[in-house]
Amino acid sequence: MDRETRDMLLETADRFFTEKCGREVVNGVEKGVWPADLWKEIEEMGLPLIAVPEDRGGVGGTLVDMLSLMRLAGSHAVPVPLAETALGNLMLAAAGGEPKAGPLTLALGNLSLNGGRVTGKVERVPFASVADRFVTVSGGTLAVIAAGNARIDDAPSHAGEPYGTVTFDGAPTEFSGASPVDAARAYELAALTRAMQMAGAADRVLATAVEYSKQRAQFGRPISTFQAIQHMLAELASCVAATIASAEAAARDADEGGLEAGGSFSIAAAKTQASEFAQRIAAISHQSMGAMGFTHEHVLHHYTRRLWVWRRDFGSETHWGEKIGAAYAKAGPQALWKGLSGSRYAA
Amino acid sequence: MSVPKLEFPPFHLPPEAEALRGEVRAFLEKTLPGVASEDRFPSWNTRSPEFSKALGARGWIGITWPRQYGGAERSFLERYVVTEELLGNGAPAGAHWVADRQSGPLLLRFGSEEQRQAILPRIVKGECYFSIGMSEPDSGSDLASVRTRAEPVPGGFRVNGTKVWTSGAHKNHYCITLVRTSGQHGDRHKGLSQLLVDLKTPGITIRPIINLAGRHDWNEVTFNDAFIPESCLIGNEGDGWLQVTSELAFERSGPERFMQNFYVLRELVRVLGRQPARRASSVLGRLIARLWTLRQMSVAVAGMMQGGKSPAIEAALVKDLGTIYQQDLPEVARAIAESDATTEEDLADFLDVAQYATMMAPSYTIQGGTTQVLRGIVARGLGLR
Repeated sequence: MDRETRDMLLETADRFFTEKCGREVVNGVEKGVWPADLWKEIEEMGLPLIAVPEDRGGVGGTLVDMLSLMRLAGSHAVPVPLAETALGNLMLAAAGGEPKAGPLTLALGNLSLNGGRVTGKVERVPFASVADRFVTVSGGTLAVIAAGNARIDDAPSHAGEPYGTVTFDGAPTEFSGASPVDAARAYELAALTRAMQMAGAADRVLATAVEYSKQRAQFGRPISTFQAIQHMLAELASCVAATIASAEAAARDADEGGLEAGGSFSIAAAKTQASEFAQRIAAISHQSMGAMGFTHEHVLHHYTRRLWVWRRDFGSETHWGEKIGAAYAKAGPQALWKGLSGSRYAA
Repeated sequence: MSVPKLEFPPFHLPPEAEALRGEVRAFLEKTLPGVASEDRFPSWNTRSPEFSKALGARGWIGITWPRQYGGAERSFLERYVVTEELLGNGAPAGAHWVADRQSGPLLLRFGSEEQRQAILPRIVKGECYFSIGMSEPDSGSDLASVRTRAEPVPGGFRVNGTKVWTSGAHKNHYCITLVRTSGQHGDRHKGLSQLLVDLKTPGITIRPIINLAGRHDWNEVTFNDAFIPESCLIGNEGDGWLQVTSELAFERSGPERFMQNFYVLRELVRVLGRQPARRASSVLGRLIARLWTLRQMSVAVAGMMQGGKSPAIEAALVKDLGTIYQQDLPEVARAIAESDATTEEDLADFLDVAQYATMMAPSYTIQGGTTQVLRGIVARGLGLR
């Protein structure tokens, strides 16, 4: 979609999330309440089909449109599998499948797919217990499995979202097809999606901490006027800026390079950065807001706890760092600058 | 919420800049093997007039300046590529660096026609080198507190005072010097001016300041009744503060803010060998990812500047992160090399390189604004002051 259409869509979604996805909804999910109305309205707006072609009932956006929406969703801590469903549908459509209504999630791990049946176990599957279907990619095949054909052991994330371990024991597939996105690429795209959500959450953390500092008075004046607080928030801003910049650069590279393989290095670098900065962002924001942000009454933790969970989802900084480091070591010192200046794994 | 969004719109360097990159690389591949490897490490602190002249002959110094002064009238983004290629390949660019980045643009903007014609073509050829005469003993980050006085006398000024941290003054031709031409020490921003000072002027004494690494890059420059002709006043008398702050903008953005010790990363790749263990790979990859991020941010800032914006906060953020990166890099690299270097001999060499980088690292926060000054700029941008 063109820039103007995307901006309009994002603006509408921003208003919608502000209104319908407040603190009670996010807290409710943590207590096990599935926000059915919220999900229904998200579907009515077409958001889970943002990157599905129009002739398949989608909105007709591209990868980068989907990723921009996920950054926005991250800035609202939207507690439903919008990212998983949007990416799942995008990959499903690319593999020739028909997107269906209902929440999807991604079961990306070491699964075997034989004769239309799936076997294996994946841990920390986001929204495992509330998804209608699982999307998985094994080798060059994408498969969809109905929730009823999987065993789900609940293991809520540290942000209180319904994550779980999913076991398939020769589960029948509802759909399977040759996919232009192989298993490694599916994992990469999921990592990129999380990096964008993290950019959104990071942005919100900064805004929250800055606003708070202007309102909170101590020793007779707003704490924003103390140089110590100003420098803390400036450092927070630098971590947030780096998270946003790297995620946006990776989104651009992935979009321009194509769904199959575009921006591989940039994605690895961006997820490394987002995951690495998550800790500083969380630590500084909580420190600057004192005990207020540490308790459940305040919304800060909606974002900081997600940053901690998301930094681990689909590869931590250690995982992606290792891939980058191994590739550059193999290519040798002369290739370092050429690779970096070209945003490639190696020259 | 009213907090400004921190956006770094992804930006592509244009095709002509990428084409130039290829030319610069080919040039460096031919030229650099003649430069000793220990000189190629500290790129920006290593001077080679021969190299500067060769670079000038290719038209890559003063690359954005008007043709009438010998410039190539190419874009700011093409200059960006030249800069990062010099750093990425460890070119000894220290001789002409300040003249190209800072002094030349200042003369273009505020200098007299006579000054431009006399100086700029020589800079472009890689034959004329500059020092920065801002800092003074006790002035530190409080630049407005300068005490060096230029007293108007017939035909010019009589200058008395002391400048410090003047890089390369013992080898350079000129020093653009911030002086007080009127008013009192406490007048702050008023009464300051800039003078184009020939470092061979009688009455100027240059004394070495040796840094932590044992290098003589810096100097103390003392003016003792030195006579500076009126024709050497840059811009208007009393406009020094405005001019000097615009000069700082040149100093704050660019790849040199996170690539000054790039050689440490390159040498780390060498010392770890082709198949490092998982932990070493991961640490290396994280260092590479950070540098990539800094470059994306810096290129985005360049794109904003090209688009006519003045991204002051964004530039300050890049420099702040760049300083931290450059200070962390040798320390992280040292630890991982000690556990994972392939040979003892390579390790010993690498630890020397890393130690040198560690000893240079304290300067990164000072040049172009301390971390605390930059954070003040960011805080203002966030609406906190």
